Amino acid sequence: MPPPNTPDESLPDEEQANLAVFLPPDQPRRPDSILERRTTRTTEHQTAPSQRGPAILPLDYQVLDYVDTVDDTLLCPVCRTAFHSPIITTCGHTFCATCINRALEMQPTCPIDRKPINKTSDFHQPPLIIKEQLDRLKVKCPNVGCGHICSREHLEGHYEHRCEYTQVLCPSSWCEKRIARRYVSADSHCMHSEAPCQYCEENVAEIDLSHHYDYLCNGVTATCQQCEASIVQHRLEKHIEEDCPETEVDCQWFSIGCKVSDKRLIVFEHEKDCPYKIIGQLVKERAEDRKLIDGLMGRITVLETRAYERHERQARRAQRGSLWPPPSTTAGSQGDSVPGAETEEERYLRSSTSPEGYMLARFERLESRMEDLAKQLQDMDAYQSSFVLQQLYPINNQLVELGSKVGVLNMHTTWLMNMQRFQQRAVQTNGPGLANPGMSSAAENNAPPPAVDDYSGPHYDQYYRTFRRRNSDGRDMPPRL
Amino acid sequence: MSFATKRLGKELSKINNSLPPGIELVSADNFEEWFLDIRVLDNNPLYANQVYRLKFKFSAQYPIEPPEVVFVKLANRPIPIHPHIYSNGIICLDLLGQQGWSPVQNVESICMSLQSMLTGNNKDERPAGDEEFVRGNRLRPKDIDFYYHDNNV
Repeated sequence: MPPPNTPDESLPDEEQANLAVFLPPDQPRRPDSILERRTTRTTEHQTAPSQRGPAILPLDYQVLDYVDTVDDTLLCPVCRTAFHSPIITTCGHTFCATCINRALEMQPTCPIDRKPINKTSDFHQPPLIIKEQLDRLKVKCPNVGCGHICSREHLEGHYEHRCEYTQVLCPSSWCEKRIARRYVSADSHCMHSEAPCQYCEENVAEIDLSHHYDYLCNGVTATCQQCEASIVQHRLEKHIEEDCPETEVDCQWFSIGCKVSDKRLIVFEHEKDCPYKIIGQLVKERAEDRKLIDGLMGRITVLETRAYERHERQARRAQRGSLWPPPSTTAGSQGDSVPGAETEEERYLRSSTSPEGYMLARFERLESRMEDLAKQLQDMDAYQSSFVLQQLYPINNQLVELGSKVGVLNMHTTWLMNMQRFQQRAVQTNGPGLANPGMSSAAENNAPPPAVDDYSGPHYDQYYRTFRRRNSDGRDMPPRL
Repeated sequence: MSFATKRLGKELSKINNSLPPGIELVSADNFEEWFLDIRVLDNNPLYANQVYRLKFKFSAQYPIEPPEVVFVKLANRPIPIHPHIYSNGIICLDLLGQQGWSPVQNVESICMSLQSMLTGNNKDERPAGDEEFVRGNRLRPKDIDFYYHDNNV
């Protein structure tokens, strides 16, 4: 039995991989099993995953940005980041699996106390409490643009499945670049193909076009008349509308009564302590409330009209009530139900006064009965199959029993036949008096019988005792039939 | 991003926050070469009122491999006198060799080790064969096969 904490048994696959192989620094960590599965699934119709890399690059735990400062005790002394899949050595020190493996490639000793370390026997799982502390660390999503914060144990799920900013393989099968998940276009065409910018003729990939327009394009520039900034022509309008510090704009509380109207920069400063701000916010809230109230009012109106219509219908029905129902139909409907079990529906049926109502109620009743029947049918089916199974079980047992009995009989028959054959042979050679009743064919094959002359003497007795048939049940003598 | 870069990034942010007394960061413009100044804190007459410049060179395998650490001579930055420091700035310290190095060491701990190495010294001398070594040596410090024999200083 292997000692406790033998790596092969006590460590999960991923860590075992870390233990077993040293990973060179520039090679990505072996993708997790989930990742691998994803890769094979998503690239079935594309080129082989080995050529284009995994669908998602593995999460790099060493570049994670933690929300709070991580306690020193949870930092790996080699990489100085919070442990990732930690390993505890026999001398009691904890390291990331990758870090300790790298360090051991250089020197086979513990980096802290320099005691010799053997990869297979001196690596152990750290206490669960360490893992829990690590899982609880609050961490920011490493993707640029995504501000998601979660505990570290959930980060991998977010990164792999949910984050819109995770770099995935370009949907085009021949392109080897990556693209943020959110930019993958609906028709899966490659956004990396370059096309000349319509303003500056420079070749720009589709994915970078927006960034190019905003920062890099130096095609047809225009100068903003107010702030004298030079901007690409097609962004000028947007600039004046949204950014230009010199454009004259109204205070955002203009509608409330603030009369300030100045250059954007000044207005921006003013808005911070505009006296109308408080009122403005109140007005805003009120407008939102108003919207809510309007919505509710609309719903009430609809409900009211509906109620009114229903009332009208009922009134009309009541008027016609004296002409309905025809007595014969009512009797008929009562006829097929079980006497004494008058249901709610039936009462309604009889009391309903209009022909539509009557038909509707009848229809409903039939429907419910149909449902009942379907249910009964199902029950019957289930009962039937269980009944058949119950009946079959003892029959099966009996069959097995019979089978074994036949086997026993077969055995006995063979034994009897063997005995008979032996007797005949004995008669042929020696005469009838010296037949050997217990001799088996197996014994005959295994050991040659003693010389014929000895059959009558003590030698024969010994031979018989030694080579006679041994019974499987341990009894001395086989049963005589 | 390589392993070394990530680790050095962490060290740099820590160094920018705080450093032990007598150690100052001069420049760390990239993750290959850093300069730091160290002073000896006690009143050892050999090193009083002097500041020494250290040059750290990191390989891509840092911190698995040790960095290359030498003293640099400038107008106001002499090479400290010490029986294990050659006059061209090369330091003979087992901590900086392949055998004595451990990946748990860092820039700060190296500086502190050098500080204490100077503090503990009272011999006003260069290593034996200093002149010859300085004249003849063309090897990089990490390729020199030092023999660490003297544990006193």
